[in-house]
Amino acid sequence: MSVKATVTNISRCSMHDGPGIRTVVYLKGCGLRCKWCHNPETFEKSPQIAYIPDKCIKCGRCIEICPLCHVIDGDSMAFLRDKCTSCGKCALLCPTKALTLIGEEKSSDDIFEEIKKDSEYYKMSGGGVTFSGGECLLYPDFVAEVADKCKKAGFSAAVESALFVKWENVEKVIPYIDLFMTDLKIADSKKHSEYTGQPNDVIVENLKKLSQTGKKILVRIPIIPSVNDTQDDFEAFANVLNSLEKSNLSVELLKYNYLASSKYGMLGKEYIAFSDKSQSDAEMKAFCTLISEKTRLNCTF
Amino acid sequence: MYEVLKYIHENIKENMTLSEISEKFGYSKWYFCTKFREYTGRSFVKYIRYFRLHLAAADLLCGCKVSDVAFEYGYESVGGFNKAFLAEFGCYPSEYKKNTKEALIYYERKRHTMFQLSDRCEALKKCAMTRNDFEDFYCVQRIVYTSIGQSEAAKESLTNDEILAGGIARTLDSFTPVIQPDELIVGFNYANSKYPERLIPKNDEKGLEIMRMNRISEADIETFFSVRYPSLARVPIRQTEAEINSKKEWAAMGRCQDNNHSVIAYEKVLRLGFKGLYAEIEAFEKKNGKNKLYNATKRICLSAMKMGKKYAAEARRLKEIKDERYSEADLDRIISVCERVPENSATTFHEAVQALWFAHIINTWEDNINANSLGRLDQILYPYYKSDVESGKVSKEEIFELICCLWIKLYLGYDVQQSCVGGTSPDGKCQVNELSYMMLDATEQLDFIRCLSVRYSQNSDKNFVKRALEVVGHVQKGVPFFFNDDVMIPALESKGISHEDACDYTQIGCVETVIPGKSNPHAVTGETNLLKALEYVFCNGYSMMYPEMKNGYATGELSDFDTFEKFYDAVLRQIYEILDLTCETVKRHREFSVNNSPRPYKSLLTEGCLESGRDFNDAGAVYDYYQIMLGGVPNLADSLEVIRKFVYVDRKYTLEEIKNILENDFPDESVRQEFINKAAKFGNDIDSVDSLAVDIVDRSCDYLDELSDKYCLSFHAQPFTFLWMIDHGRESAASPDGRRKGEIIAYSCSPMQGRDFNGLTALLNSIAKFPTKRTPGTTSAIVEIDPKLFTDRNISLLTDLLLAASIKGLSNVQFNTIDADTLIDAKKHPEKYNNLAVRVSGFSQKFNAISPEIQDHIIARTKHSCL
Repeated sequence: MSVKATVTNISRCSMHDGPGIRTVVYLKGCGLRCKWCHNPETFEKSPQIAYIPDKCIKCGRCIEICPLCHVIDGDSMAFLRDKCTSCGKCALLCPTKALTLIGEEKSSDDIFEEIKKDSEYYKMSGGGVTFSGGECLLYPDFVAEVADKCKKAGFSAAVESALFVKWENVEKVIPYIDLFMTDLKIADSKKHSEYTGQPNDVIVENLKKLSQTGKKILVRIPIIPSVNDTQDDFEAFANVLNSLEKSNLSVELLKYNYLASSKYGMLGKEYIAFSDKSQSDAEMKAFCTLISEKTRLNCTF
Repeated sequence: MYEVLKYIHENIKENMTLSEISEKFGYSKWYFCTKFREYTGRSFVKYIRYFRLHLAAADLLCGCKVSDVAFEYGYESVGGFNKAFLAEFGCYPSEYKKNTKEALIYYERKRHTMFQLSDRCEALKKCAMTRNDFEDFYCVQRIVYTSIGQSEAAKESLTNDEILAGGIARTLDSFTPVIQPDELIVGFNYANSKYPERLIPKNDEKGLEIMRMNRISEADIETFFSVRYPSLARVPIRQTEAEINSKKEWAAMGRCQDNNHSVIAYEKVLRLGFKGLYAEIEAFEKKNGKNKLYNATKRICLSAMKMGKKYAAEARRLKEIKDERYSEADLDRIISVCERVPENSATTFHEAVQALWFAHIINTWEDNINANSLGRLDQILYPYYKSDVESGKVSKEEIFELICCLWIKLYLGYDVQQSCVGGTSPDGKCQVNELSYMMLDATEQLDFIRCLSVRYSQNSDKNFVKRALEVVGHVQKGVPFFFNDDVMIPALESKGISHEDACDYTQIGCVETVIPGKSNPHAVTGETNLLKALEYVFCNGYSMMYPEMKNGYATGELSDFDTFEKFYDAVLRQIYEILDLTCETVKRHREFSVNNSPRPYKSLLTEGCLESGRDFNDAGAVYDYYQIMLGGVPNLADSLEVIRKFVYVDRKYTLEEIKNILENDFPDESVRQEFINKAAKFGNDIDSVDSLAVDIVDRSCDYLDELSDKYCLSFHAQPFTFLWMIDHGRESAASPDGRRKGEIIAYSCSPMQGRDFNGLTALLNSIAKFPTKRTPGTTSAIVEIDPKLFTDRNISLLTDLLLAASIKGLSNVQFNTIDADTLIDAKKHPEKYNNLAVRVSGFSQKFNAISPEIQDHIIARTKHSCL
C-alpha cells in the first residue's frame, strides 16, 4: 500500500536544493512558526484556500457555489476565511486561479511518477529528489517510501528539514537519504522560542544525533537582520556546531529573503518584515569567515 | 544505532570487526547486521570501507600522498587501496585527484588561456560597429555593375544562366578594391544599415550623387539608367484561386523564391582555386558536351580568378604612395596572399580564410547577403591551421587574429550568415578541434550579434558544450545555438541522405539544415498555419476569420462529431488539405523558378550540378528538397485539449457553444480564463496535451511523405515559424486555447508564450517529445533563461540539462538570457540599450530594431529561473 502526504507543490528543475538537477517536493505542515518564513502556506497540515485579489475578475462563480465564504464587498470580492472549511469547490471553479486550494493529498506512487519524469536529468547531473516543506519529516513513512523508490532507481534523495520532530521520525528516513539539509535558526533556545514559537533543544539534540550517523549534512543558517546576526549569535552558532560530529558537515548561510510578503497576504496572514533588503555578498562573506574560523568547518553562502 | 555509528566514526582508523562491535553494544550478531543494514543501507564491512574511502578521497584532495593515505586507513598495500578506490569511484586515486582538481580549475585556466583581442581587432571591431566608414561609398556598385553586366550579356546570348553570370562577372571585373587600415582579410560585400544591399539609385539628383560617390564612371551611369530594369526573360507566375485565397489568411503559403539560402562548397575553392574549378568545368564540358551552365560558370571563374590580384595591386599602390595609415608589413602580407588566392589553391591559413571570404562575397553577390552561410568553418580551415602551426610559421595568436578578422567582416546589423563549429564524424567521433574553441572565443570576445551554431552529441567533449554555454551566458545575445547530432543525423538519414553526408550537415541563416556543397534545401518555401484547421472544422470548410472564404474541406456539421476521435479526424483532414495546397503551390512555383532564377555560381560549387549539367535551382544538387514549415502546432494542441476536456469529458460546453464563443472573440472573459487555466497546456510535460502536439506533427510528417510521392519532390517537415507567427495570428480567429482573435500564435514549437510554468525540464521534455528524428528541418525552440543562471557554478548543471534533454530527443535549442525587467525597461528607454540583442526567431537581433509587437511577444515568453 502506498503512503500518503499533503503536498503543497512539486518544483522541478531546481539547481539550488542539493547536488545536481532536482525535483523538490514540498510537504504541508510545520511545528515551527518562524516569523520570517517564506513558505507560510506550509504552516498548517491541512489544505487551505489561498486568495489573490489581483487575479480576480469578479465573475461571481465562487458566490454561486459558496455564498457563505464569498461575498461582494463594494467594488470587489471578499473571501471570508473564518467561514471556510477548505472544501475546495470554489478553487475548482475559479477560472483565473485567484482562488486555489493549497495542499493536496498525494500517494507516494503519484509523487514518484512525477519525480521519475526528470530521471535523465538526475542521472546526467547526479541529482534527484529533495523533500522540503513545511517540515517534511512530519511524514517519515512517506519520505522513506518515496526515497526508497528513488534510491532503487538510482536518484539521489535529500531532506530539507528543521529537525523539529521526534528522533524516531529522523531515524526512519536515514537509510534512504544521502544528504540532510538542516536548519539552525537561532542558537539561544529562549530567543529561538521567541521567534519560532518553540525552544530549540529538540532540534539541537536531533542534529547531534544525526551528525553521528555519518550522513552528509549541510547545516543552513538563515541570517535574519537584527535577529540572529550579532557577534554573540555567531559565537552561539559556533558552539552548537562544535558540539557536533563534524566529519561530514558543512555550513551554508542564507541571505534574508525580503520578498515573502505576498504569500502572507493571500493566506490572510500578517507579515513582519525584518528588513527591506537582503545582505550584501561582502557581509555574507564576513559571516562565513566568522563561522569557519570558529568551527574550522567549510562555510559558504 | 547512531551510538554505534558514532563509535565507528571516532575509531574509523582502527581495526574493527563485526563481532567486536556487536558485542560492545550488546546486540546479537544477526540482529546487529540487520539493524545496521537497515540504518545505513550497507553491510557493516561495506560501510567501513565506504566511509574510509571517502575520508581518504578528501585527504587526497588536500594534497596527501596516495601511499600515506592508504596506510593511514588501514590498507596494507597501495595496490589494495587502489583496487578498493577503483571500485568505489570508478578511477584510481591519482586520476581522481587529477580529474576533480581539473574540474575545479577548469574555468580559472580557461580565463587565463583564452585568446584576447589584439589591438588591431579592437580597432576593426570599433570601426565595424560604428559603421561611419568607407563602405557607404561603394554600396551601389554591385547593383549597378550587375545590371550593366546582365544587359550586356542579354545582347549576346539568351539563357538566364548566362545573363546572370554576365552580371556577376562584370561586378567582379569592375568593382573598386578597397583596403581598410589594419585589415588583414580584405574585401566586402556591399551592404550596411544605412544603404541596404538592394538599394537601386534613382535617376535624380540624389541617385546621381550616390553613383558618383560610388566612383562609377559617367559612361556606366548612363548605361545603367538606360537598362535600369534589364534583363531576364522571366515567366510570370500564374496563381490559382485556392492559392490566392489561402494566402489572404496566411494558411497555406507555398512559394519558391529560392533566394540566398545556401551553404556551398567553399572548401573546394580553397583546395582547387578558381583556376582548378575552371579546369573541372572544361573536363565536364568535354565529357558531356557544351551547355549553358558550363558557359555561365566558366565566365564567372575567369573573372573570379582576377579578384585577388585586384587587391594585391591596390595594396602595392598603397605601399608605393606610402600612405601612413597602413603598415607596410600588413600590405606585404595582403599582397602575398591575394596574389595567390582565390585563383590558386590556398597553402596557408591566411590564404584559406581570404579565399573563403572572397568565395563567399561572390555568393552573396549572386542573390544578396541575407542567409547565404559559411558552413563548418572549424572543419574546413583545420588542415591549414594544422600545417601552419606544425611548421612553426604561424603562432596561435595570429590564427586567432585572422578568425576575428573574418568575424568582423561578417558583422552586419541584421546578420544570418551562419557558421557552425563542432560536430560528429561518420564513425561517431567528436570533431571538436582547437579552431572550434578559438571560434567560440572570438565570438565571446567580439560580442557581436553573430550567427554561430554548435553541433554536439553525447560523444562530444563535455567541456566544449560547457564552454559554448558559457559563451551564451557571457555574450547574452542568444549565441551560439545548439544542434544535437544524435537526432539531426538520423533525421536527415530518414530522408534518404547518406550517413556520411548527414554527418556533414550544417545550418543556413536561421536554423535551416543543409548538406554543405551538396544540397539545395529550398528554405522557407512552404509555410503553413495549422491552427487554421480548427476554423475550417468549426465552419465546415469555411474560414471563421473570413466567413465568405472556403479554404478548407467540407468535413461535415458539428453535430456529426459525437466523439473526440471524429472531431480530431476532421482536424487532421483539414491539416492535410493545408499541406497539400502548400506543396502543390510549391510544385507549381518550382517550374517558374527553374526558368526565372537560375544560380550559376551556386551550381559551380554544388555537387551534382556540373556533373548533370543542371542548374542548382533545377534539381541539379545531389540533394534537392523543400522545407515545409509547420506553424501553430502548440496552439492547435492546446485548443484540442480544451475541446476534449470541456466538450467530450466534462460535457460542460457543446461544440456549437464553443463556436459561438470563438466567433464572438470570448465575450465572457471568465470563459476565456477557464479555457486557459482549467485545461492542460503544451510545454508542461503533461502527456495528454503533449501527445496531441506530437501526433499532429507525426501525422503531418506521414502526409508530407505521401505528398513527396504525389509531387515527386522531397518535402522535409520543419516546425519553425520564423517571424510569421505574427501574421498567422493576425489572420486567425479566436482559438479555444484562450487566444484572442488576431493575437500572435506560438513561436515555432515553443509553448504559447507564458503558458509553460512547470520548469525548464518540463519544457524541454515537452519539446523533446516531438518526432524530431522525422523533422530534419529542426524544431528551433527558444528557451528563455534567467541570466543569473549562467554563473560558473550553474554552467555545469546547464550542460547536464542540455545533454539530458538531448538524450530525450531535443534536436535544437536556442537560449535567451535577458530578464523581462530589462526588456521592459529597454522598450521604454531604447537609448540606454543600444547593444542589447535578443533571440527573436532563428536569429538574434538588436532589441531596439525589432517591432513593438515582437518586443511584447518576447517579453511575454516565460522566463525560466530554476531557483
